[in-house]
Amino acid sequence: MSAKQVFDLSIKASLDNLLKVRQYINQAGERLGVSESALADLRLAVDEAVTNVIIHGYGDLDGMVELHMEGQGNAVIIRIRDKAKTFDPSHVNAPQLDTALKDRPFGGMGIFLIKKMTDEAEFLPLPGGGNEIRLVKRGAIG
Amino acid sequence: MATLNFMVGQEQGNVAVTVLRVEGDIDAATHKTLQDKAAEVIEGGATHILLDLGGVNYMGSAGFRAIHAMTNMLADEESSGLSKSPYLKLLNPTEAVGRVIKTLGFDVYLDIYQDRNEAISSF
Repeated sequence: MSAKQVFDLSIKASLDNLLKVRQYINQAGERLGVSESALADLRLAVDEAVTNVIIHGYGDLDGMVELHMEGQGNAVIIRIRDKAKTFDPSHVNAPQLDTALKDRPFGGMGIFLIKKMTDEAEFLPLPGGGNEIRLVKRGAIG
Repeated sequence: MATLNFMVGQEQGNVAVTVLRVEGDIDAATHKTLQDKAAEVIEGGATHILLDLGGVNYMGSAGFRAIHAMTNMLADEESSGLSKSPYLKLLNPTEAVGRVIKTLGFDVYLDIYQDRNEAISSF
C-alpha cells in the first residue's frame, strides 16, 4: 500500500500570497490526480476561503494561514487553519441572484462560492483560538 | 503576487465601443486594478465597454465585485430591472470563468460573446 500523500503550505496572511495558494492547489491537485474541473472548483473555494481569513479574520493584523490537502479515496479534503478571530459565515447573506445588479449589495459571493464549489464546507472554531475551514470535494480524483 | 495587464482599443459599431482586454488572474489582490482601469476609461469618455476576458485564467468573487462596480459606473436611470446591461458586455471567458459567471448569476445581467465582431455589433 502506497504512503498517503499529504500537502501542506504555510503562508503569511497577505492578499499578495493568493497566487501562491492557487499554485499550491494546482500542484498538490495534479499530484493527487484531481480532475481539471474539480481542481478549478477547489482553486476557487480555497482562494475565497483564504481571502476571507485575511480580510475578515486578521484584518490589519499579521498572522499565518496553514493549508493541508490530502486525498481520501476519490475525495479531496482541505483544511485551512488560522489564529484569527472567530468568523461565523452564518451571518453572511447569500447574494441576491434575482435582484437587479445595480440594486444588489456587494459581498456575500465568497461564502456562496465556497459552498457551491465543494460538497462539504465547515467553519469550526479551534480550541485555544483560531478557526479551521474544512472543505470536502467528492469524486474529485480519478 | 498576481498582476493584471490591460489593452484598450476602440471599435466603431452602431456606437463607439471600448474594448478592454484583461490578462492575468483577477483575485482580491488585483481586482482594484481592474476597477481603477475601468474608471479611467469611463472618465476618458467610454460609454460602451466590451470586457475581453480571454486572457483571464482565474477570476474569483473580487473580480465580480469589480464587474459589478463597472456596471454601476456605466448605468443610467434607464438601467433598471433585470434587463441586461446595454453598456457592458463580456467577451470570451474561459470555461472555468464562464462557470463562475453562471454560478453567480451574472449571465442574467450581462451578455456574453465568443466572437469579437458579433459582440461589437451587438451594442
